[in-house]
Amino acid sequence: MRVAQYLITVFIVLSLNFFLPRMMPGDPLSYLTGDPSTDMPVIMSEEVREKLLAYYGLDEPLTKQYRNYLVNLAHGDLGWSIYYNAPVSSVLLGSFKWTLLLMGIATVVYIALGILLGALSAWRRGTKTDFGLLISVFSFGSWPSFFLAMLLIVFLSVKLGAFPIGGAKSPMSSQASGWKRAADVLHHLFLPCLTLVLTHLSGVYLLVRNSMLGVLGEDYIRTAKAKGLREQDVLLRHALPNALLPIITMIAMRFGFLIMGTMFVEVVFAYPGMGTLIYEACITRDYPLLQGAFLLTMTFVTFFNLAADLLYARLDPRVRRA
Amino acid sequence: MRRLATFLLLTSMLASLVAGCVPVLTPAATQVSTPTPAPTPTAMTLTLPGKDWGYPSPFAFYPRGPGYIRMSLLFDTLTWKDKNGIIPWLADSWEVSEDGTQWTFKLHPGVKWHDGQPLTAEDVAFTFDYIKERVAAFKWFTTVKKINKIEVVDDHTIVLYLEEPMAGFLIDVAGVVPIIPKHIWEGVEDPAKFTDKEAVIGSGPFKLVEYNKEEGRYIYEANPDYFKGKPAVDRLVFIKVKDEAMALKTGTVDAGFFWGKDIDAVKELEADPNLEAIEGPSFWVLQIIFNTEKPPFDKVEFRRAIAHAIDRSKIVEQVTHGGAIVANLGIISPGTDWYNPNLPAYEYDPSKAKEMLDELGVEDLSLTLLTAGKFAREAELIKADLEQIGIKVEVKSADWGTIDGLLKEGNFDLVLSGHGGIANPSILRSPAWPATGYKNDEYDRLFEEQSRTMDEEKRRTLVWQLQQIIAEELPVLTMYHPKIWCVYNPSKLDTWFYTPGGVGSGIPTEQNKLVFLRR
Repeated sequence: MRVAQYLITVFIVLSLNFFLPRMMPGDPLSYLTGDPSTDMPVIMSEEVREKLLAYYGLDEPLTKQYRNYLVNLAHGDLGWSIYYNAPVSSVLLGSFKWTLLLMGIATVVYIALGILLGALSAWRRGTKTDFGLLISVFSFGSWPSFFLAMLLIVFLSVKLGAFPIGGAKSPMSSQASGWKRAADVLHHLFLPCLTLVLTHLSGVYLLVRNSMLGVLGEDYIRTAKAKGLREQDVLLRHALPNALLPIITMIAMRFGFLIMGTMFVEVVFAYPGMGTLIYEACITRDYPLLQGAFLLTMTFVTFFNLAADLLYARLDPRVRRA
Repeated sequence: MRRLATFLLLTSMLASLVAGCVPVLTPAATQVSTPTPAPTPTAMTLTLPGKDWGYPSPFAFYPRGPGYIRMSLLFDTLTWKDKNGIIPWLADSWEVSEDGTQWTFKLHPGVKWHDGQPLTAEDVAFTFDYIKERVAAFKWFTTVKKINKIEVVDDHTIVLYLEEPMAGFLIDVAGVVPIIPKHIWEGVEDPAKFTDKEAVIGSGPFKLVEYNKEEGRYIYEANPDYFKGKPAVDRLVFIKVKDEAMALKTGTVDAGFFWGKDIDAVKELEADPNLEAIEGPSFWVLQIIFNTEKPPFDKVEFRRAIAHAIDRSKIVEQVTHGGAIVANLGIISPGTDWYNPNLPAYEYDPSKAKEMLDELGVEDLSLTLLTAGKFAREAELIKADLEQIGIKVEVKSADWGTIDGLLKEGNFDLVLSGHGGIANPSILRSPAWPATGYKNDEYDRLFEEQSRTMDEEKRRTLVWQLQQIIAEELPVLTMYHPKIWCVYNPSKLDTWFYTPGGVGSGIPTEQNKLVFLRR
């Protein structure tokens, strides 16, 4: 039943993917006739313009374009990116793998760290540890990510020279051996990842801390303590699993937003990724690419929501019965 | 507590693993900062900032200047340009018939494609035929349309027959169209989608080693058999960079390219003893586009009043800090062969502007000034100036797609926007330059006439007349021309220069391929 609900959602979103980009003013050729931020306008006669529209299949009636879109999609064909002049699937894949690497690692790290520190804070509530954590997590979390990113670049890259100022690899790294290449990628990944972890940490931390505080006041915790269980057993076996329930939903949503969440960091670190790609696709009115990018984002969001729903049912008997 | 400890241990191990890579991988480019001017016998790698401009085949690059430049490193044209103007390139010499419709080119003998095959007149003929047939699929080479017939006389001689004389032929066609190998493109139906390795086999000074779209990286390698000699740069690398000034300072790149408002960064970099800078023209203009189909903007007197009301030099000073010059009211870039210096000036005079408005009977006017977010500060100054003469202005920001859509619909009052290409008279074609709705038969006639006038002096007179009309009629009111800079590390390469009138049909760039060849 739940799966069916998701399928209907998917169909609606698929249609929105098609119609929303086309409702924006301008068309994909706007960008070919010249744009104020670049140098040379391309002088395009009406004749060439019409031929180009035909070349990209944009001269067909909208209903036919919509049908073609659905048919192609059913065949797994995402179409041809107008601005990037390449198959949409390869353009998406090229950026997606970097986003997955960066955001994947960052998300795992900040969630794990957030749970850990949140639990610690709650356990040591009112002490200096709690206070110190609260202050430091908050101060990092309240900075805009691009500002933190620039600070890190100025101090760690420019002043100390410990990290590259941007990019995903050294230019000549493709000539190096496998291990060196991996190390190079990690080296470039470190600062963007650190930025993301520091700016995203506070949300998880705070939720875990609050949820933990609630749980720690429950009767069964007192019972566990009264049974003479060791502190860490009470914390890890009795308190944390119960405190984590509301957090699962949040984690799922965080993973869902993973694709879009990195744009500022990508821009500051000149890091390849989906955020910049989607932005550029929007600016250039690249309909096929926009459709593909939204499809990918949507798949991601729905997948993790579904996963959270199913996981929730497994973890919490009350939901399963309902 | 043990599990917690294990987790902490694992995270710290991961952190140290990543941190441990540091000494191994300090990028090679950091060595650059040691000033060793003596040329070394080892391979010279030049790293430049950039971004993704598409696969550098003649038909797959994004139709913009930098895309063309990346392609021009791999492919050659019949003519090219140096510091002083047009020079022979693939063609050693050429002749044009009296009436300007027959061009005979003698090719340089012994030129080879990257795959070792000889480049002959057959390839040249094939190139023009091929592009002409598919002219709609390309956004860049539509000028070949005027070629009627191509005749191969012998292996090294070719004659191009034109429909009508074409004044800009040597630059706009012979200097722009890349000659492609027949043996590779012969069977290719959709050239834009042909992005195999063969698609970048040209005759140019470099060969493509690597292209990465999402990372915006290009790696080129010198072509040792280049007919003009092996380039001085052994390896040319373009990487994506966010902040070019910072990348220059850290030695991540060997040159940086700056524009207009970047002037403050340029001044700071110039103070560095290890860096040098050159300044050039951007061939770009910021302008107010009037909706000449909508009252009161349809009245030329009104547009002139606006011209008197706006203090253009104040905009240049306050917004660009001197990183631009006040624009030629006739659009064409000052300093080029075509610039008309004797145009009406419309000195800043708000009280005169107010009087002109009163004469027109314009009262209580409120209008919308639409602009891209980049020019918000310019728009605010314009708003202040116009409000001084009693016009209410609402500034709205939008992205280019939106603005372009509104321009096409004619649904706007004033648009503040810009475009490049103003080193070449062909930019004055109406209505391609975005003076939407403005119609003037005399203007169009003059434009057609200049495009066919082979005598340069006569052509210049006509181009001057076109500028005169624009300055008098003001379908657009130009604001400023930004300056551009190349800041470079001279110990790496010091041959940078700006090409007069630009590379190709007018790309303002310091990346003319001559820069990378031996002097």
